[in-house]
Amino acid sequence: MHLPFQWREALAIWIALGTVLAGRASAGVKLITLPPRERVEIQLDNPNATLVQEERTIPLARGTNDVVFAWANTNIDKSSIQLRFLTDPKNIKVLSVSYPPGENALTWQVYSPQAGSARVRISYIIGQLDKSFAYRAIAAHDEETLTLWQYIQLHNNANEEFGSAGMWAGFGQRIERPIGVNETKRLLLSRFDDVPIKKTYIADLARYGYLDAGKKQLRIPMHYVLKNDTDNGLGKFPLMPGKARIFQDDGRGTIAFLGEDWAGFIPRDDEMTLYLGVSKDIVVKRTIERRTQKRVLGRLYNYDVIVKYEIENFKDQPVVLDIAESMPALRADIHGDTGRQVEWTLAPKGTLTEIDREKSTADRPVFHVTLPPRGGDQKAVKQVHTLHVIIKNEW
Amino acid sequence: MLATNRRHLVATTLGAALWPATALAGNVDVSTVPERDTVQLTIYNSEDLTLVRETRHITFARGVNPLQFSWANTLIDPSSVELRFITRAEKLDVLDTTYPHDKPQMLYWNVASEFDGDAVVEITYFTSGITWAADYVCVSDLAEEQMSFEGFVRITNNSGEDYEDAQMRLVVGEINLVEKVADLARRGLISADEARAYRERDDGVRRLSRKARSELHDVVAGRMAEAAAAPKQIIKEGLSEYFIYTIEGTETVKHTWSKRMRLFQGKAVPFEIKYRYRPAEYGQQLVRLFILRNDETSSLGTTPLPDGMVRLFRDNGRDGLSFLTAYHTKYVPIGQEIELNLGRDPEVVHERLRLRSWRDNFWFRDTKGRKYFSREQGPQIRNNYPVAGWDDHEQWVERIRNYRDQPIDVELRLTLQGHVIFTSELSPKLHDYRSPQFTAQIEPAKPMDLGYEVTYRQGINHDQDNVTLKQPG
Repeated sequence: MHLPFQWREALAIWIALGTVLAGRASAGVKLITLPPRERVEIQLDNPNATLVQEERTIPLARGTNDVVFAWANTNIDKSSIQLRFLTDPKNIKVLSVSYPPGENALTWQVYSPQAGSARVRISYIIGQLDKSFAYRAIAAHDEETLTLWQYIQLHNNANEEFGSAGMWAGFGQRIERPIGVNETKRLLLSRFDDVPIKKTYIADLARYGYLDAGKKQLRIPMHYVLKNDTDNGLGKFPLMPGKARIFQDDGRGTIAFLGEDWAGFIPRDDEMTLYLGVSKDIVVKRTIERRTQKRVLGRLYNYDVIVKYEIENFKDQPVVLDIAESMPALRADIHGDTGRQVEWTLAPKGTLTEIDREKSTADRPVFHVTLPPRGGDQKAVKQVHTLHVIIKNEW
Repeated sequence: MLATNRRHLVATTLGAALWPATALAGNVDVSTVPERDTVQLTIYNSEDLTLVRETRHITFARGVNPLQFSWANTLIDPSSVELRFITRAEKLDVLDTTYPHDKPQMLYWNVASEFDGDAVVEITYFTSGITWAADYVCVSDLAEEQMSFEGFVRITNNSGEDYEDAQMRLVVGEINLVEKVADLARRGLISADEARAYRERDDGVRRLSRKARSELHDVVAGRMAEAAAAPKQIIKEGLSEYFIYTIEGTETVKHTWSKRMRLFQGKAVPFEIKYRYRPAEYGQQLVRLFILRNDETSSLGTTPLPDGMVRLFRDNGRDGLSFLTAYHTKYVPIGQEIELNLGRDPEVVHERLRLRSWRDNFWFRDTKGRKYFSREQGPQIRNNYPVAGWDDHEQWVERIRNYRDQPIDVELRLTLQGHVIFTSELSPKLHDYRSPQFTAQIEPAKPMDLGYEVTYRQGINHDQDNVTLKQPG
């Protein structure tokens, strides 16, 4: 089958007027009509596929008609193409679909009880018309709140131009824009003002490692944490994964770039945690102060362990530091990795006794300590905290 | 452009009564080529196999009539070609069949006729290269209560032959073949020795295959007689272990083309929505399922559903559809449940939280491995006695948050290895000896914690390989 002439669009539909035999739409000389698209909707709500729906009005002769649909140089899933009649769907019938060899085309054999125009909706799954999400946030100078913009980025490498297409991401507003061949279009989906942010610092050797291993100084990452709930100005829908770029109002009418991170999929009521960089003004040195092996029976032992954290805050602001300890990593350090689950309990001699149950898991307790700002003499107050645990029933 | 009939039936017309088959080796023949009157394809989806039945009118002369049948550039199994007489069968007889050594893809029949005149013959053979596959398009309503369910078949012809105005019959079911038709088509006839060995080896299988084929012949013959007069409809019927669809009317499928036709439609098929966590079936995620049944009360159930791709859409409430999933379903008999797996639901959050782990019920072994001591026998346990048995306890919570407007039904099935005690207030049941499962209804906007404890008996405590359910306390 060969297209009758050069198409401006890679996608084309034409109708061979009059009754013709199935599978012979391309044979001989015939009159054809070229109905234009009247409506296009691009559905972006499926994470793995893009559904295009387009509507056209086609003339039908009484009897059997061949409606040819061709998609040269585009990546349409052939078996996903559907034709629905919006006009008189009870009586106008698709009898069969023929697929010619080696062509990106098909022919619907359509029966119409009478001559006239019929509006049709053609839908198909198209490849290389992809989407991604991106976030941009500008934090207030005091880092108490931020304004968050959510964008959808449409990448049209499908070799097909869509003029004035409606697009819907599955949430937010429907957007109507044209998108050309090989264009990437960035569209604002949502804007959220005055979203409270929590700035966190965390000491977690197993997850973030050392800043200076010789001195046992931990790397202390700084995160912005936004909660995707209605109390915090969000929570209308889950937040899709995407790159987030964070800026801050520098207090002089301009903004400064703080950092960027990949945001994962954030269900409602969960937190979006964005890693922006390492804080070098909070110094945490972690050492194992005690490791005492106590026999239970036979070769069964308990281990009495104290982990010591020496902490200094060189910022001129008070800071809450999260301290997390991985029990499997601690057990591997003091005894070796047995592959068994770690059985542990808090013991009374530590200063870290209040576990944040919401943030903790069975193997990774999280504690919070408040650090005072650097003093007037520019000296930081050194705090020493200890975690005292008994790691039980090891052999 | 495609060649038309590559397959020919040639009836010699001069001096036929006097010619033995060997006479056909002569250089000067006069022949007629009887056109095909009807053709029917019975296409199997489990094997690359199609039974072709065609009828032709042939004029016979009294005496011996040589017929030549050739199938150049096609994928016909030469050992399967058969000739039958539909009319005046009592006065016609096939004397012999000859496969000339120097002319591949050809045979001769010598037909003895007791009359001068026309008769209808039927030629049947197997070919490969014609396949069919089912696919389904489902469109749910906005409320997600019912859907339209359309089944389609797509026939693809790569057999080397154009089939025009052919009646199409599609067979669902798994048949047994001892040799691939495509191989037979490529290789030609098997030798006498091979045939003998083949019969001795697989006689039972061949009988079964012949029986099925014989049944097919009978049904097909009856249908062909009806086809011309009957109104267009899709006939669906069971046959032995198979199911046959007859596509309404006739269709033309040329070599290298494919054609898709609607098989059936269920217009308002009710379905349920369930959420399941079954790692062995769906991976490590709580998946959303639309569950319907292939029965009459669901506007389906007229036919088993052959395996094929299901594409599921939903009315998006804005005069359009949303694409939900594409999913390959296996064969669904009449009456069986159909699962459409939508994958993870972004509006339902499932977290698996291990709250605590601990060990107890320790046993120790003496250094010679002869005696075992429980913890209560402490004084007898020397410092060098190793641990020989213990119980690992894990306390778990399955936390589910439902952000949809309606309550949802969830079912969780865990597969636990080893000697396991499963303790829970969730009224669990055992799906099998190692798979406890439990259900719950999750109200909107209220996180629900489904808790249980798993005890793994280890070392010498491990004396079973199954899961035992236990009530707490």
